[in-house]
Amino acid sequence: MTSPSQATVAEKAAPAAEGKTPAGLSPRQLMWRRFRRDRAGVISAGVVLFFFAVALLAPLISSLYGKDPYTTYGLDRPELLDPLTGYPMKPNGGVDGEFWFGIEPKLGRDVLMQLVYGIRTSLLIGLAATVLSTLTGIVIGVLAGYMGGRTDYFLGRLIDLLLSFPQQLFFVAFMPVVTALFVSPQKETPTYFRVTALVVVLWLLGWMQLARLLRGQVLSLREREFVEAAKVTGASPWRIVRKELLPNLGTPILVQATLMLPNFVTAEAALSFLGVGVVEPTPDWGRMFAKGANFYEGDITYMFFPGIAMVVFVVAFNLLGDSVRDAMDPKTTR
Amino acid sequence: MTTMTLNHRRRARTVAVALAAGALALAGCSSGGGSDPKESKEPKMESQDITLGTTADSTGPAKDLPGAKKGGTVTVLQRDAFEHLDPGQIYVSDELIMQTLYNRTLTNYRIDDKTGKVKLVGDLATDTGKSSDGGRTWTYTLKDGLKFEDGSPITSKDVRHAIERLYAPFETNGPTYLQQWLSGDGQKYRKALPDGPYKGKHLPKTVLDTPDDKTVIFHFDQPRAEVPFAVAMPNIGAVPPEKDTKEKYDKAPLASGPYKIRNFKPGKGIQFVKNTHWDPKTDSIRHQYADTFDVSFGHQWVDSTRRLQAAKGGDRNGMTFTNPVDPSQISAVLKNKEAMARSLTETQPYVDVVSINTDRVKDKKVREAIAWAFPSGQYLQQFGGPKAGEIGGGLVGPTLKGYDASFDPFQKRKYPGGNAKKARQLLKEAGKDGYELVYGYGNGDAHQDASLVVERALERAGFKVQKKEIDQTTYYTQIGKVDNKYDLYRSSWGADWPSASTVVPPLYDGKNVYNDSANYSHLDVPWINKDIARVEKLSDLNKATTEWIKLSEKIFTDEVPAVPTFYNRLFTLWGPGLGGVKYHAVYGAVDPTAVFVK
Repeated sequence: MTSPSQATVAEKAAPAAEGKTPAGLSPRQLMWRRFRRDRAGVISAGVVLFFFAVALLAPLISSLYGKDPYTTYGLDRPELLDPLTGYPMKPNGGVDGEFWFGIEPKLGRDVLMQLVYGIRTSLLIGLAATVLSTLTGIVIGVLAGYMGGRTDYFLGRLIDLLLSFPQQLFFVAFMPVVTALFVSPQKETPTYFRVTALVVVLWLLGWMQLARLLRGQVLSLREREFVEAAKVTGASPWRIVRKELLPNLGTPILVQATLMLPNFVTAEAALSFLGVGVVEPTPDWGRMFAKGANFYEGDITYMFFPGIAMVVFVVAFNLLGDSVRDAMDPKTTR
Repeated sequence: MTTMTLNHRRRARTVAVALAAGALALAGCSSGGGSDPKESKEPKMESQDITLGTTADSTGPAKDLPGAKKGGTVTVLQRDAFEHLDPGQIYVSDELIMQTLYNRTLTNYRIDDKTGKVKLVGDLATDTGKSSDGGRTWTYTLKDGLKFEDGSPITSKDVRHAIERLYAPFETNGPTYLQQWLSGDGQKYRKALPDGPYKGKHLPKTVLDTPDDKTVIFHFDQPRAEVPFAVAMPNIGAVPPEKDTKEKYDKAPLASGPYKIRNFKPGKGIQFVKNTHWDPKTDSIRHQYADTFDVSFGHQWVDSTRRLQAAKGGDRNGMTFTNPVDPSQISAVLKNKEAMARSLTETQPYVDVVSINTDRVKDKKVREAIAWAFPSGQYLQQFGGPKAGEIGGGLVGPTLKGYDASFDPFQKRKYPGGNAKKARQLLKEAGKDGYELVYGYGNGDAHQDASLVVERALERAGFKVQKKEIDQTTYYTQIGKVDNKYDLYRSSWGADWPSASTVVPPLYDGKNVYNDSANYSHLDVPWINKDIARVEKLSDLNKATTEWIKLSEKIFTDEVPAVPTFYNRLFTLWGPGLGGVKYHAVYGAVDPTAVFVK
């Protein structure tokens, strides 16, 4: 997903654009203007915003719609599910005026609510992992690039080591161990604990690409005249990093972060699909696929809604990432 | 016997999320449910009336099936690999049915080809046994012309050796009824012959006597009415002393039945080919129609259902011993008239219960509240609904003699979602509102869904539920620990023969509270222990069976050690190229002994 080769050119472009600034427009305003002209970018930004709005407003949607994601409507009202097979009685997965996206086979919960709350869970986890990974990536990448020498060497090997870890396998092996360590055998594993563990693992194994990319950028930036000038005037390393380097790294960071988020969301979904992520009764996007894969022969409609939603989400986010890069860095050729 | 069906509906999920999402381009619409009730004939609630056959019933050959042909290969698809081939080590359902192909025992079950009625007849023996001395002594006479696969004759010495080797320390998995009746309870019997027969020692003649080549006599210290059934277990057969390779016998046992083992590849598969030294005239139970049974393991239920339903190529002659139709495909199979014509739905001897750990939940009122609140119907729905089982009213299943279909003290059939009101009231009376329960469950799909249903129902009744998932592969070890930290957990138990004597003592006798024992409720109540000992002494089989049922009902209403959830059912398919497929009601599996290729 990441495209480091394209992003590395960014540093050349940023100062160049600065030079040609027409009067009255800052580079940011220019970027905004370019972005607005990109129709695909605007549409995908709208879609992404819509997903975030749905996730944020899930409780409101639930109260307006009058259903919640936990009640087993199908079991409580036997006329909704076929007692013999457990599939909805009505065609198309039980879609009707009352259950807009139908009901879940066997347990009989509302699919729309499951999806809305599932998106909420997945986006929350994905967003948290993205923020943490981006911050870690920046710190370690800039540190390695700027300090060079032994620090760079050791950080580089650490990145190599972590890159070689298979994320999903690691999580599958890691989860029972930490559960045994922190959760009493008398108590249920709390949901916040699972979510935290998921975020931590996604974070620990997710920051390396960004760090490596930034290290390369910093490595070439620190040899440039403006950095040397700053050094000569006696600026502290902290000031150099903050005022000279970081402003030039904005573009790759933003682009990488927008590409990272859908990656984390799909990774989280994949873990739940495998049955090691978030467990019942917490609604989860990925687990809906796992269930859909079991039900598809009798009720393909169930898979339809989370599937379409996921495809739209991932495509929109990737298009948005592309558009952001185009806007910030118009010289890049794709 | 225990089932291997713990990892119930677990299946391989190799499709990646991206793939699954991508495949949606193909997604269309799905039709609704409302399956035609005519398509789903449920087995009648009829308890098994197993009769003891006469000498004539035990005399071979078995009556030929109309239209049966010789030759051909039958493909058998199984999920779990067979671990044991040594008849002394076999105790799980798929191996029990498999051994009927190559292993003969003193008595055995004859399944009627047409009606499926079960009759206990002599197999190696000429009849089901003659008792004397008020049921303390049982005499068996071997048939003429019995041979092992190497052509050597089967004598009473071989039967004695087969029984005595069960005392050896390496024989740990098989049933222990006969050994315990002969030489003492629990594991005490092993002291009678600590090394088995391998160091030249034998059981005394006052216990097991073989006066000549054809006669085997058992002497017990109290009347034992159910000996004919106990000697039908796979480990009471014949093993020649000179061919006994001890532990290695588990990989290559000597066949006495119509088929012998070829090509056993542990974890992969096994083939059974014709045993030319088997004489049909000595066998009233088995046929030898097909040339080969080719069994392969590792077929998830989804896989075997799909293959048997499509019946392409070699699967035309395919069958399975114990793989049911996968719950996700039940509706597809029900709509397929052609496939339904080659399917069966039968009640199995297995009863699924949720045991209550009486060491932790000491208050009987609380246990009663759990029993009232438990949503058995909704729970069963998660495992496949009426095709996977029927809601259970009592602790013993409908396959047992004397089973009372109307017995349902906690009205599980009337309230499929549990009676929360009644439970709440009981909990209030006990002053335990908000009582916290730890519910342990195997971490498979269906179990996870079922845990939601259980949690909702119990919380409606005023309990607080802590759900703990347990790794599937070690599930029975975890819940088998006497000091486990769970209050509620599921287990399944099937009667070894259709009498509650193989259910009540192992599950509810205080003697059996130890690690890995089936008494998962840790029930140790003096009046129950005493009553079990009393009924065990009854010499009249019919009287004993009804007494066992009565006792099981009393244990349930008076002590509530477990909540019965459902009586298992087997819904399975076979290929259109096969004939003679029938259901083995005692083992709860598909009987291969009369199967032929059309």
